Amino acid sequence: MRVNRPVMFLLALATAGFLVVLRLEAQTEPALRPHTSWIAAGSRQTLPREIVFENALGRLGVLNDSGPIDTAGHPFFEPIGSNQRACVTCHQPANAMSVSVESIRERWRATQGRDPIFAAIDGSNNPSLPQDEASSHSLLLNRGLFRVGMPWPPPGVSPEFTIEVVRDPTGVNRDWIYGLTSPTPTISVFRRPRVVANLKYVTSPDGLFNVKLGVLMDKDPDTGLPSSMNIMADARAPSLSVQAQGAYRDHQGGKGPLTRAQLERILAFENQIYIAQVWDARGGSLIEPNGPAALGPTNVARHSVHVLNGPKTPAFHFFDMWLTRSTTSDPQADFRASVARGNDIFLNRRFWVKDVAHINSIGLANPAKRTCAVCHNAQTSGMDLAPGWVDLGTTNFPTWTESPVWSESPELPVFKLTCRPDSPPHPFLGREIYTSDPGRALVTGHCADIGAITMGQFRGLAARAPYFSNGSAKDLRELVDYYDRRFDMRLSGQEKQDLINFLGVL
Amino acid sequence: MHRAPCTLVVLLLVLATDAHHTSAQQSSRARASSSARRNFVACPIVRDTKTQPCWLAEYEGELYYLGQQGGVANDFYPPQLGHLALIEGVVGQGRVCGGIPLQPVKVSVLRELTPACRTMLPAEDGIEAPPPIPAPRGPAPSWVKIDGPGDVTLYFDFDNDFFSLHLTVALTDLAKHVAQVKASRVEVTGFRASTRLSNGQVMTERDGMGSIRARKVADTLAGLGVPASLISVSAPAQAQPADGVNDPWNRRVQIMVR
Repeated sequence: MRVNRPVMFLLALATAGFLVVLRLEAQTEPALRPHTSWIAAGSRQTLPREIVFENALGRLGVLNDSGPIDTAGHPFFEPIGSNQRACVTCHQPANAMSVSVESIRERWRATQGRDPIFAAIDGSNNPSLPQDEASSHSLLLNRGLFRVGMPWPPPGVSPEFTIEVVRDPTGVNRDWIYGLTSPTPTISVFRRPRVVANLKYVTSPDGLFNVKLGVLMDKDPDTGLPSSMNIMADARAPSLSVQAQGAYRDHQGGKGPLTRAQLERILAFENQIYIAQVWDARGGSLIEPNGPAALGPTNVARHSVHVLNGPKTPAFHFFDMWLTRSTTSDPQADFRASVARGNDIFLNRRFWVKDVAHINSIGLANPAKRTCAVCHNAQTSGMDLAPGWVDLGTTNFPTWTESPVWSESPELPVFKLTCRPDSPPHPFLGREIYTSDPGRALVTGHCADIGAITMGQFRGLAARAPYFSNGSAKDLRELVDYYDRRFDMRLSGQEKQDLINFLGVL
Repeated sequence: MHRAPCTLVVLLLVLATDAHHTSAQQSSRARASSSARRNFVACPIVRDTKTQPCWLAEYEGELYYLGQQGGVANDFYPPQLGHLALIEGVVGQGRVCGGIPLQPVKVSVLRELTPACRTMLPAEDGIEAPPPIPAPRGPAPSWVKIDGPGDVTLYFDFDNDFFSLHLTVALTDLAKHVAQVKASRVEVTGFRASTRLSNGQVMTERDGMGSIRARKVADTLAGLGVPASLISVSAPAQAQPADGVNDPWNRRVQIMVR
């Protein structure tokens, strides 16, 4: 039989194309895992390069950019401390490398509270309480909060304020072992675990100076280079290395420091993992070709770091292809149009940003008519390129997220901080401040830092409720509602839903 | 895609040294007589407009225009509601955003809270903000004077040691200069000062403010790599006297590289 060469060529091309399609299919549809896929410390498995987990809004994609990860013997996954925990205990891939309240509750049910995540030292409201009762872990079970014990006064710091415990629902701040008057005076605050993924955006340094405060950046002790100062809620760790050593000591009961080899493996894992939502129950695939460049972990992994939000470099790239609304009834197109409108509100809706320390107090005016993206200005992550600790108001009375009514607010401690007469006061709250978490001020001792919390990244939100560092917003609606109230944004119901939809696909 | 290795990059581009600008600034200061000035303490007022908000303040029944919302690369740093402001400016011509412009003007946010300072005015037809003012191409005159690469003066708000963006840029450049010329000495002198208001009252910065400023500059230079052994710090205890004209320029730190 005579073979036509062009036909053979086309056949070969088609076959190759078919194989490419098969491979792409395989790449874009890894096995679906439930949102409760818990990786216990010490469990041995191989995490594929791409993993997809279900969650309430859709599916989260996890990309191990360096390839499959064998958890056996890996110091991120093994219980190398003294309390059976590992890093993964509080940084679960299914929960966008944080941990959701839903997963925590599931662990309580599955283990009758014996999972190491409930360790007395910080998985409990107060280590002195009976640890087998759920009520002793209510902050973790209800808000996803871990206890963070901060030495008082901060080492090497002469604080500008005194601190009193005025309400102590957990009892830990007045505890004779763990409290402020204990032999090792400690202030306990309660915070959410931060996302350990997409870290190239979190650790990217901004320069020699913190441009907000006009002071030099802290330096990475290993490299001597300026830190991003964006890693932790209070920016106390200038590098992932310092954070890991601190977490090993404080959360895992580690004795002595991590070895160099352990540290290097932990950091190598942390620096290669990316997370983002990949599929939405209403919007369908978020990672279609020619779709929004912001979405999906592969896109997050490939974008450049330290790109400032601007007209040509919007914080979350472009959603124009989703803006057009179908003339016929098409729920998917409607949802996508809503996401695009939410992005537009985020970028362009101006409102009066007022009384936010380290935003309105740094030469930008109080109030300043600005947009969400002025503060959340780092492209792809939605963080701040500069050190992002600001007093948004979530922890300080009267704008805090807690109820202003005593009888309705029994969960978090309340401290009264009084600034010395010769010290600069908090710029918008003065010299007597009531707070449920002094934030950065527990590190610096500065009144101006009271309530300042480093903003977190916007990624994988659907997989890791609740939100804010104090876990006060149980869903994205409560988060948007807080901003709407705080800044009198007067968002319509549709605008709120657009913002919620936008945040939910990131 | 625009990639910014540092948020300062764009800002640095517009902050190159411009000696002519500085000379003009000095001349305008010298020309300003006390009669053409308004120095007063008042609650700032923010007025919304179709574009950028304007900042105003009232003195003896007259509304003065101070400036508009911009960025930290601008020379003008707006005041803050919730705080009184010390306003020291030269009376200009006409009206801007409903007020007589003060130009140049130095606005210092006074640090204690004043809850009564909360006046926001809505946008009004016919009252517009001026076009956005670009960031200065040389040292921002309210913040920095450069008489030579090793002769720099930094200016401060009243009773304040805050380093604006402009000061951080000047200090970074200065540290580079010290290294380039292999300087043998860096003299840092901090001053505190008084200011005379238009009503005759004199305000004086707190004791030690000159020293606080000088020490902060010295520590920052050391952090930028200038050997601490090269840096000498001094600060006269006495406040610089007020004359009602040059007072903003007495709240300063002078740095001389030898």
